[in-house]
Amino acid sequence: MQTEKAQGRLAAVLSDAFLILYFLFALFPLVWMVLVSLKSGPELFTTQFVFTPTIDNYLAILFGDARAAAGVVAKQEFPRNFMNSLITSSGAVLISLLVGVPAAYALARYKFRGKEDLAFTFLSFRFAPELVVIIPLSVVYRQLGLYDTHLGIMWVYQLVTLPLLIWVLRSYFEDISPDIEQAAMIDGYSWWHVFFRILMPLVRPGLAAAALLAFIFAWNNFMFPLVLGGSNVQTVTVASLGYISSAQGFFNRMAAASVLATLPQILLALSIQRYLIRGLSFGAVKG
Amino acid sequence: MAELRLVHIYKTYKGGVEAVKDLNLTVADGEFLALLGPSGCGKTSTLRMIVGLEEITGGEMYIGSRLVNKLAPNHRNVALAFETYALYPPLTVYENIAFNLRAKKVAPAEIDRRVRAVAAMLEITDILNRTPAELGGGHKQRISLARALVRNPDVFLMDEPLSHLDAAQRSHMRVELKRLHAETKSTTILVTHDQLEAVAMAERIAVMNFGVLQQVGTFEDVYNHPVNEFVAGFIGEPPMNFLPCRPQSEGGQLFLISADNSFRLLLPDLLRSRLERAGIQQVDLGIRPVHLDLLDQPGNGPGELQGVVSTYESLGEEGQLAVSIGAAALLVVTPPELSLRRGDTVHLRLRASQIHLFDAKTQAAL
Repeated sequence: MQTEKAQGRLAAVLSDAFLILYFLFALFPLVWMVLVSLKSGPELFTTQFVFTPTIDNYLAILFGDARAAAGVVAKQEFPRNFMNSLITSSGAVLISLLVGVPAAYALARYKFRGKEDLAFTFLSFRFAPELVVIIPLSVVYRQLGLYDTHLGIMWVYQLVTLPLLIWVLRSYFEDISPDIEQAAMIDGYSWWHVFFRILMPLVRPGLAAAALLAFIFAWNNFMFPLVLGGSNVQTVTVASLGYISSAQGFFNRMAAASVLATLPQILLALSIQRYLIRGLSFGAVKG
Repeated sequence: MAELRLVHIYKTYKGGVEAVKDLNLTVADGEFLALLGPSGCGKTSTLRMIVGLEEITGGEMYIGSRLVNKLAPNHRNVALAFETYALYPPLTVYENIAFNLRAKKVAPAEIDRRVRAVAAMLEITDILNRTPAELGGGHKQRISLARALVRNPDVFLMDEPLSHLDAAQRSHMRVELKRLHAETKSTTILVTHDQLEAVAMAERIAVMNFGVLQQVGTFEDVYNHPVNEFVAGFIGEPPMNFLPCRPQSEGGQLFLISADNSFRLLLPDLLRSRLERAGIQQVDLGIRPVHLDLLDQPGNGPGELQGVVSTYESLGEEGQLAVSIGAAALLVVTPPELSLRRGDTVHLRLRASQIHLFDAKTQAAL
């Protein structure tokens, strides 16, 4: 009995130790990024962990610096890039919600010809490498006047965000018995009322998880805004390239920009954490 | 409370599937009727048409004096207890029950009074503040019934209400549902494929098959006087035996002879005139397993048969004996603990008053 207990404790300690080890391993790039963002130029290429931290990099990317003013380097436009990222990513998720929730509901509830083909087509957006479609898309975009517009970027992000939302929510809607909707009809409620009062609370975990993931995918996207956007819509991912030129590499500023660019995702993930785990494991358990 | 009247009701689905054909049925005010039939017999389509979830293809449906064909479900004043309960998961038990009253804009005090009254009747007062997800099947069943009853429906429908309960809960709920009906006196329709449920609860049973109403009546009616082979075989457990045979007159007596000549059955006088009047050449003889008696001695009286034991099972309170007579097979309910072996010869007597005869072609009772 005693030894069993001791063994159990040992196993718990070992598994904790392993998890901590893995945690350090997984987070190391992030830690390194934060460290680099706090270093000044000369320290940049050392592996010192003890140094005098500086917030100059953050100040420089947020407010520009003297050299930028003097025209030595291009004026940093991090705040604008950040806003562009925010507008395009949240806009894309918003459009995906408006289109994807009804689409997922329809795919879950109604029988119609070509239903599975249609669902698979949505999913197949995720298979195609972006590079395959980007050249024809850019030609189309230039002709339609969507090139270098926020709407254009939101639109092309649908390739990334929409399939995710549709497929996660579809399985949620399929799990809800149609009887519930019919019971509510007999009870005398309109479909809209039932949808918002009964169905939406049931799919909320899936909705939150899928929307967050969609937001992260959109935020992290590099290829689409690089090719389909110009200076008007330059996002943080594309702009981070600008910190490195042939003459000089501001890796510390790049790191500072990356740290700031990661913040919204981390904050969002933390705020809906309780939905996140439930939302993504729910569908999986059910198979 | 109201009478429900279905007049020449048809339901044809897209693609031409005829789910319900020419259904005429009247359920009296305050009556408890069971709609009984195998899967796909049209009973669920009928129920959904009554509730208004399915459009009526043809015919007229009246609740009381109102023609309800075109009325939306919420204007028919019907209630349905779903097979899957269909409770609203985000709402508490209380709100689930009150949901309909809130839609009707009933005053809050009145809602509270009615919810508590119906909760007391179904003994769920102590769980009013829980949510359905925390509760088991028996409780969910009660909530779904409460939700249906709270609105005082003109017609109360139940779709396979006991199919998701375990055996103990099921027999308990059967009694409860009967009590509820006695208390509320609402016009009630129970849809089920389980004849035991129908027999236990309903005053009348309507048997359906292939979209056609076969027979309506009390259990005694459908059990003792089935109108055709389907009803005869569907009602009663174990099911009725059928023996195909042809009538033959010999020396002033009427015999039934099987197709392969493996038996000759001297027909009791009772049935003789009926068969002669019908004047048909092929009949199916129907006899329930409980209406066959094992004989110690072979006699030569009317209604006697000789066969060979193929299996015998002693099931505790009774025994089930399978006898083969040529190509035909008969199931007999016997006392338990008989010493019968495969291959033994047995003598059976068919109780004359319990023999049913059917036209082999139309399957209708003679």
